[in-house]
Amino acid sequence: MGFFLETLFGGLMAGMLYSLVALGFVLIYKASGVFNFAQGAMVLFAALAMARFSEWLPVYAGIDNAIVANLIAFVAAGVVMFVVAWLIERLALRYLVNQEGTTLLMATLGISYFLDGIGQTIFGSDIYKIDVGMPKDPIMAFESVFEGGVMLNKEDLYAAVIAALLVGLLMLFFQKTVTGRALRAVADDHQAAQSIGIPLNRIWFIVWCVAGVVALVAGMIWGSKLGVQFSLTTVAMRALPVVILGGLTSVPGAIVGGLIIGVGEKLSEVYLGPYVGGGIEIWFAYVLALVFLLFRPQGLFGEKIIDRV
Amino acid sequence: MATKQIGDVILDVQNISLSFGGVKALTDISFDVREHEVRSIIGPNGAGKSSMLNCINGVYSPQQGAITFRGKKFSHMDSHQVATMGIGRTFQSLALFKGMSVIDNIMTGRNLRIKSNLFLQALRIGAAQREEEQHREFVEHIIDFLEIQAHRKTPVGQLPYGLQKRVDLGRALAMEPQLLLLDEPMAGMNVEEKQDMCRFVLDVNEEFGTTIVLIEHDMGVVMDISDRVVVLDYGKKIGDGSPEEVRTNPDVISAYLGTEH
Repeated sequence: MGFFLETLFGGLMAGMLYSLVALGFVLIYKASGVFNFAQGAMVLFAALAMARFSEWLPVYAGIDNAIVANLIAFVAAGVVMFVVAWLIERLALRYLVNQEGTTLLMATLGISYFLDGIGQTIFGSDIYKIDVGMPKDPIMAFESVFEGGVMLNKEDLYAAVIAALLVGLLMLFFQKTVTGRALRAVADDHQAAQSIGIPLNRIWFIVWCVAGVVALVAGMIWGSKLGVQFSLTTVAMRALPVVILGGLTSVPGAIVGGLIIGVGEKLSEVYLGPYVGGGIEIWFAYVLALVFLLFRPQGLFGEKIIDRV
Repeated sequence: MATKQIGDVILDVQNISLSFGGVKALTDISFDVREHEVRSIIGPNGAGKSSMLNCINGVYSPQQGAITFRGKKFSHMDSHQVATMGIGRTFQSLALFKGMSVIDNIMTGRNLRIKSNLFLQALRIGAAQREEEQHREFVEHIIDFLEIQAHRKTPVGQLPYGLQKRVDLGRALAMEPQLLLLDEPMAGMNVEEKQDMCRFVLDVNEEFGTTIVLIEHDMGVVMDISDRVVVLDYGKKIGDGSPEEVRTNPDVISAYLGTEH
């Protein structure tokens, strides 16, 4: 029982991190109807910026306190993501208002390759580390309930809490603020939104900023776990099945989808893995996504698409 | 109707020409709209009515000509600027925010009038809370006015067509526009729904004093509620005047009924 719970919690916490990346996809899709292929590149770009800033600050600015350096690096990386958002809106999206979804998708594909390249040009292409001082040592829980207790990874636990907080903030922003309402309006109909005076350009800038910050948080957490390197972009690919599962338009869907996939991966690896020689973790999410596409293409929480014929 | 005071020219359209590639949608169109009047644009299918509206609304930019709104002359505007200047519109094919409730849809119309900042809104404190309440109250008035109280929380995608058209009107009204552009507000409606919509349009015009530019197919409706009518055919203006004048204009008759030989 203790072992099962350990696997379960491990899966939940890994799932929370998938959710974080999936959230980036959902945000942009909700607010502009664009499937943002560049989300993975943004995660890498943000993580690179943060890693390098925190490395440069003690050397060039003489800031020795690790916490202060990390904080400044985080804010600076945030500013960099704002600039990226502004440039994307200014140079690409502005000219694509009212275009087909496919056109916009292709644009984000281009942006993704561009960000991958320029990020490594500016910040370098080695493996960097982000050390935000998250404890690596495990904690034991439920020792009184089970023999041996349940071992939890403290780093994962912290990451999950940060992710949960961010999700809460975003929900508040979308549901309770006027800007959030304007964002939802733009997602539904560009032209109608413009006709009542919602400035499309500003809204898109805001969305990409928010997606940039989400990418930064995801990049920071994943980066501190895995090291900041090119393979971070593939983390985004792992979030794709999460989005399919949860529904492209649903913030809670991204969370629940992430948790299901995280738990599913870990449990299937541990309990089914031995029978098929392991490696389930790598493809489990995609198979699950395929099944969902067959039976419930809008995802668990997505809006059902009904077209008038 | 008798109490209504028609004022000065509020919108002046001068020599507008618009073409898409080789297709001339509008050729040298001029007309004006006076304050507080109901001005209709009619014409057979493909006459350029919607194109005309989209020029005023800033969706299309005409190749020639200028539009003057309350003394300000422009040859091209974007939709957002037009909204800021006090021009609202509804859409021929519905363009509502389908996933949102009726009340949220109409609230989006208040967007330009909301002053409090994002942070206060999120926390729902102080001025932001009061402001939200004031706008909410205004929106409730509109909902009462359009008689859709029972549906205020319903996602608009689930409402029948006729009611969706009312929500579309409500959203435009929430802007408190000085000029309201209605693109075929009665298209696809049955007689009863049409009568309701006519009543709303006239009430908006009389109670709020909103100037209305209306595109309509149904000649009967237009003749009943308009003060003046512009008739377009193949992108050209063929008639302009009171409903009686237009009704007896030989060019208009031939456009609608075919030429006598």
